[in-house]
Amino acid sequence: MADIATKGRSRPKAAPSPWKQKKRKPSKGGSGVPSLNGKWAYLFIAPFVIMFLIFGLLPVLYSTNLAFYQYDPLSLSQTWVGWDNFKFVLADETFWISLGNTFEIWALSTFPQMLMAIGFAAILRSRFLRGKTFWRTILLVPNITSVIAVAIIFGQLFGRDYGMINNVIGFFGFPHIDFVENSFASHVAVAVMITWRWVGYNSLIFLASMLAIPDELYESASLDGAGAWKQFTNVTLPGLKNTITFVLIVGTIGGLQVYAEPLTLAGTQDGGSSHQLSTLTMYLYNETFINMKYGYGAAIGILITIIVLIISAINFLVTRRVASEDKR
Amino acid sequence: MSKNKFTRSLAGVAMIATVGAGLLVAAPAKATAPAVTINIWTFGDVIEPAMLRAYKVIHPEVTIALKKADLDPSMTNLTTSCSAYVQSHHLGSPPDIAAVEVSYSGYWRAYPQCFTDMRTLSTSAANANAQSLVPSSSNIASGLSANDIKNNYLAWRWAQGTGYNDSVIGIPTDVGGLEVAYRTDLFKKAGLPTDRAKVSALWPTWDKFIAVGKQYMTKVSAADKKKGVGFIDNVGTIYAASMNQGTYKYYNNNGTDAGQLVYKVQGNAPVYDPKTKAQKIDPKTKKPMFKKDWVLNPNITKAWDYTIKADNAGIGTRIGQYTSDWNVGMTKGTFATILAPAWMMDYIKGQAPTTSGKWNIASLPGGGGNQGGTQLTIPKWAAHPQEAWDFINWYLAPQQQLTVFKTYGLFPSTKVIYNDPALTGFKDPFFTNAPVGSIYLTGIQKLQPIFEGKLERAIDQAIGAGLGRVAAKKQTSLQSQIQVMIDLDKATK
Repeated sequence: MADIATKGRSRPKAAPSPWKQKKRKPSKGGSGVPSLNGKWAYLFIAPFVIMFLIFGLLPVLYSTNLAFYQYDPLSLSQTWVGWDNFKFVLADETFWISLGNTFEIWALSTFPQMLMAIGFAAILRSRFLRGKTFWRTILLVPNITSVIAVAIIFGQLFGRDYGMINNVIGFFGFPHIDFVENSFASHVAVAVMITWRWVGYNSLIFLASMLAIPDELYESASLDGAGAWKQFTNVTLPGLKNTITFVLIVGTIGGLQVYAEPLTLAGTQDGGSSHQLSTLTMYLYNETFINMKYGYGAAIGILITIIVLIISAINFLVTRRVASEDKR
Repeated sequence: MSKNKFTRSLAGVAMIATVGAGLLVAAPAKATAPAVTINIWTFGDVIEPAMLRAYKVIHPEVTIALKKADLDPSMTNLTTSCSAYVQSHHLGSPPDIAAVEVSYSGYWRAYPQCFTDMRTLSTSAANANAQSLVPSSSNIASGLSANDIKNNYLAWRWAQGTGYNDSVIGIPTDVGGLEVAYRTDLFKKAGLPTDRAKVSALWPTWDKFIAVGKQYMTKVSAADKKKGVGFIDNVGTIYAASMNQGTYKYYNNNGTDAGQLVYKVQGNAPVYDPKTKAQKIDPKTKKPMFKKDWVLNPNITKAWDYTIKADNAGIGTRIGQYTSDWNVGMTKGTFATILAPAWMMDYIKGQAPTTSGKWNIASLPGGGGNQGGTQLTIPKWAAHPQEAWDFINWYLAPQQQLTVFKTYGLFPSTKVIYNDPALTGFKDPFFTNAPVGSIYLTGIQKLQPIFEGKLERAIDQAIGAGLGRVAAKKQTSLQSQIQVMIDLDKATK
């Protein structure tokens, strides 16, 4: 990579060390400000690093400490309880329910959404589509809508007695579905909200990736006698591999943070009568700020972190494999 | 010429400056205190807008800024704010007044360090001086502390704002009260009496109330039933109503910070499967198994059983209160009764204005009732405690509470006006000219004070979820009670 970048410029072949640049005279080609490549960079990333230390790392360290205490922020009483908080969380049914809910909602929202997004992207790429810019813009509109507004509108659509979806279901003679109390139905409702919000965004990402696939591949495929479907499965999909990984990772990060949609649908912080809509983040908030168990909440936070780390590790392995396959 | 002009203008400037300075010196002597903004953290309709306008007239220098949130978040905000104060004494943007709802009163009573002890405050002359501006508002003398106004208020409402160390952390706003608002037109259609005395006589007890509901449902057409029509808006409200008719709920007052938890007592507890929460059956005798263990206290089970009974009788719609369906149903006549605290009357008027004259108010089954009520507190880190105290004294004075009652229906917590004909004789045309003042007063006077403990709200919510599970047919009543017990043990640990 470094070779390509410096080709045609009077630079040494080896990657330049940022610390030695001062001694060298500025290159004749005028390739920007050389020192910008060097230690100045630290100045430019400093705002992030400082913010991260204050609002990211420090709270993590603080709550790690807190997780071993029973803590009352108003009377400042701190009682050492060792691993008890963790033991109680792991023994708490609600934790496992919330974990299950989170993954169910994640699966219900990620995979159908990905298929739909690839489909939309294929349509948008089609030669025969008119008004491409218009459709691309339309697809992004849900994404810029406020989450709460989406949740409220969908909450009304999914209403048990007078909701539009149940009106349709009732019209065909089926009994109404309770999209709040029924565990699976409520997860579907949340997944629909998430899908509605993100499918357009992901379509555009897939579209960008599709447009990067060279036309020659399609031409030669059609010369080989491949029809539209064969071209899609044998040319388009392999070309989208990296993008699929990317969308999956971003979707997983988002999936573990789902909060506003289930909260608005359930209407209560505990996620409904049998915690059917409680996600990990809702559970954390409920125990910490509604039930005022701060040490317990901190322990939940650490367990969530561990779960995220495990999933990140899996993501990392998958990504590395995909990348190494590309090199071959 | 130019110089002359310059000196003249200079003289002019000097003159203006002198006059201006004179005004500045004269001003404080004539007008009132400097401008002050009182920040109030509140929820719902605790602070009524018409009263704020009235206060602005007598105190133009005071601006009142309301910060409204939902009930639970507003309490979380207060916790965060107090925690910041306790830990670092940083003020941030503190509230001068914070409204605390009665279900959280037990929680906050345990933390008197968060609040200004109102016994130490003393009203300024501001209100007394402003009296001439609005003669109709009550005269607030200067030099009043909480001890001086204590006897104006209902004793048990006052106690809800008293810290364990006898400090006064909050002054009571209204009393909820609880009666039954019913639709006379729908009652007539169902062949039930419409007169409030006769309707009240129909249901001296909750069992009778459920029976009347069943009778009402027999007159509802099958098509209407399919649409979700019911007798009462939500049977879940029966739980809280019945609970408040007891002498205790989840705590006993033992003089400690948090109170003594009594939500469970030793009794005949079902043996259950930890996974399904279903009661185990003895394989030999084929009878359900019991053992000596903790069970929910009899008050809880009594209120629980009434609720489940009403649910099984099918007399309730399953509409949740304060949802859009509820508002629509009020107008459409989807339900004929609501268990209504006094403050809900204004909500009904606002949401269903077309039903004016179709409502009436009957007494609550099983005795007196109460739901809700709020205390106004002054956090210790308030920036303007003096102005806040002056405002609270004016806003919660008997005269103002009477005005709020007449305008918004919030029932006064000031017992000194309970004999006032303006209160007892007050009739509301929206509710078929029911003497709402005397109706709610009768119910409130039947009430016994109940001790509210620290985790009242969390316990209420766990039990509410339990009733919800039974209503949604996710668990049987017994399974759900077993689950509630597990949840409560966890919540109070």
